[in-house]
Amino acid sequence: MEPGFNAKSLALRFLPDLLAVVASFVAAGIFIAVMGFNVLDAYETILFTSFRSVNGFAQTLLKFVPLVLLAFAFTVPLAAGKFNIGGEGQMIVGAIGAAAAGIMLADLPMVILLPLVILAGVLFGAFWGAIPAWLLYQFGINEILTTVLMNFISFGLIDYVATEIWKDPFAGHPTTVPIGAGGELPLLLTSPPLHAGIIIALLVAVAVYIYTDRTSAGYELIATGANPRASRVYGINVRRMFLLSLILGGALAGLAGSIEVAGVHQRLIEGLQSNFLILGIIIGLIARGNNLAVPFVAFFIAVLEVGASAMQRTMMIPGEMVFIVEALILLFVLLSDVVRRR
Amino acid sequence: MKGVRKSFGPVVALDDVSLQLNTREIHGFLGGNGAGKTTLMNVLYGLYKPDAGEIYLHGKKVEIQSPKDAIKLGIGMVHQHFLQIDSYTVTENIVLGTELRNRPTLNLDQQAQRIVELSQRFGLEVNPRARIEDISMGVRQRVEILKALYRGVEILILDEPTTSLTPQEVDVLFQSLRVMVDEGMSVVFITHKLREVLSVSDRISVLRNGQNAVTVAGAEASEETLVKEMVGAGMDLEKSLIFSESGLGRETLAVGPKAIVQVEKIEVLDNAGQPLIKDCSFQINEQEILGMAGVAGNGQQELAEGLLGIRPIAAGRVLIEGIDISELETSELLALGVTYIPQDRLSDGFLPKASVAQNLLLGYHHQEPFSKNGFLNWPAIFTAARKQISEYDIKTAGPSEIAANLSGGNIQRVMLARAFSRPAKLMVAHNPTRGLDIRSMEFVYSKLLEQKEQGLATLLLSEDLDELMLLSNRIAVMYQGHIMGILDRSRFDKYQLGRMMSGVKIDE
Repeated sequence: MEPGFNAKSLALRFLPDLLAVVASFVAAGIFIAVMGFNVLDAYETILFTSFRSVNGFAQTLLKFVPLVLLAFAFTVPLAAGKFNIGGEGQMIVGAIGAAAAGIMLADLPMVILLPLVILAGVLFGAFWGAIPAWLLYQFGINEILTTVLMNFISFGLIDYVATEIWKDPFAGHPTTVPIGAGGELPLLLTSPPLHAGIIIALLVAVAVYIYTDRTSAGYELIATGANPRASRVYGINVRRMFLLSLILGGALAGLAGSIEVAGVHQRLIEGLQSNFLILGIIIGLIARGNNLAVPFVAFFIAVLEVGASAMQRTMMIPGEMVFIVEALILLFVLLSDVVRRR
Repeated sequence: MKGVRKSFGPVVALDDVSLQLNTREIHGFLGGNGAGKTTLMNVLYGLYKPDAGEIYLHGKKVEIQSPKDAIKLGIGMVHQHFLQIDSYTVTENIVLGTELRNRPTLNLDQQAQRIVELSQRFGLEVNPRARIEDISMGVRQRVEILKALYRGVEILILDEPTTSLTPQEVDVLFQSLRVMVDEGMSVVFITHKLREVLSVSDRISVLRNGQNAVTVAGAEASEETLVKEMVGAGMDLEKSLIFSESGLGRETLAVGPKAIVQVEKIEVLDNAGQPLIKDCSFQINEQEILGMAGVAGNGQQELAEGLLGIRPIAAGRVLIEGIDISELETSELLALGVTYIPQDRLSDGFLPKASVAQNLLLGYHHQEPFSKNGFLNWPAIFTAARKQISEYDIKTAGPSEIAANLSGGNIQRVMLARAFSRPAKLMVAHNPTRGLDIRSMEFVYSKLLEQKEQGLATLLLSEDLDELMLLSNRIAVMYQGHIMGILDRSRFDKYQLGRMMSGVKIDE
């Protein structure tokens, strides 16, 4: 925030986090060794697959897009002190909205259809986030509970859309027919395919940072999270900030959904939400809610994820190993907070 | 107690402190905020385990591991915040935790009888069958003292017992303490109020920064010597506002002719939607400090929040320079020049996780030059913050330091800097010196007066009558949401104010 960090204080600030990462790799290495695999080879695969080939790097960026958006869907409400655990449902409903726009208006040219598809995802996600937000605003119902429950509704919804409304009769898995060609995100690379969603994600990262750190409205969000009572005493409408933050979270997750539809699948597929919700929360927590740090942590987690599938393919080590590493990083980061406080 | 040492993490709260308590004495125990008074007494009462040091009782070394041990040894403590169950009767609260022989029937007549005896003996009048929620703070305190007496204590520790009492209630309390001492008990009276400790104590000990400063006989002590011991060298008492014998100078007391604030028959609701402030009217001129006295919880908080737009004004109106502001929102009022020093600064005014600069910005984040077209101007914010930090002597590493690292006194300086740094018309200050040491109090007073001389109208809500009588041009008294009357400075009288605080209306 203050212009002119100095390098030393910056290094000191991140030293505990770095130690946490190293410690978690050491701890997970013990598991890998016990399972009878070569630890160094495994870690080499995990860490460097993303950087050894264009394909690996493209894979990493494709993972990065939904991860960073789902992380923001968690950290933006968190800045106001609210917990959005509904990124999954918001992403699914956003994807439904994007697919609906892309299928129903399939004949429109790209200049119109693509923005509509993206916008539909954002609006549907925001709507899905607005329901818990409104329940909180109006009745004071805990948002953790409602956002989680909204996820379950969304599972039923995507199933219905993909098997009843726009079912693709030739697919074995619940899938819709493809969206119109004008709704597809243009490719930055054709082989391997890399869609333009990465640009949207980076713009969002910049926008979130500017919003939370550089605007008066964002200041109100941060102040509300720091002390809602004091914020109210000094003229901030905190209930409105709660409402706004959860709707924004929903919009961000919805955007992730529309990018998956418009960029990756070109249709709605059940299961497109993957485990992005949990990873997004882990990213947000490792970044300690710091929106400037979120993109970097998200990229690191994307590297691990891509490395994990490579490791599974080449070394037959279960990809779930990476979950253990990620969980350990989070535990060690939280532990380093405790140690720092002592 | 000999050589007691206690530290919390890196902070040494008590360092080699010794205290000797005689029988049949009221021992005043004086010290600024954070000097370690309460910590030492918590050690004696078994709540804290000391790192070093010994406790002797009647010449015999004792180990006190818990309050239970302390009570067994005849040591009782009355905390600043009462530990009582609101829906229980006085008797039930007193016997709670003691051995009862008639458990199955819970017939407490015998116990009630004993409480009546005790209360008559020591002049602590209570109705044993009254419910706690129905009785006043003064009576609740008697209940707390009776709790200790009922358990047969010989040493009674009172932690800041006069905070929420009227002057009359304070006098009654002191008489009771005298009776106890005459019957052979010992009383430790913890306080930061000099005048009270001087009026009642046989001997006085002063603690400074967790170390013994001095112990003197009550008769030999004077305000000046005690203050010097409390704050150490470096404070100029000659120029001090708090100890100014003659009061404030004539220029300081001048009041402008123009009315800034007119409050007309306002009504403010409490959390349950009942009118708590009723038919409340007053006026504050420019360059005027209007004091608002009253026992805590008589509507001061609601009045402050009503004026700030945090709570709606249900009826009546408030005019600032002739403009009706009773419908405006807090943010509009802040922009208009109403500033606020909240009583509970940690809960109502402080963002612990945010930086010092972000804290100083709170409430003004939409105003130029800090905000332009919705974007924050951090260089301007930091420049202003640096200026405030030096002007208000806030001890911090810089504007970007996390505010949670600040001490209580420095947090209050942040509140003051924020409230005083913008052009303002009305200042609402609620207990602005609560919990501050003398030096910080002095600072708050000088800032309030400095702003007043520049024309600010101030509503000073306080429970400290000394403070109100020192600073105010007029003092209004609030009782159960009503204004009992407003006294001019020439008519200031502690006991008159005390009568009004307990609900006696006066004609102006």
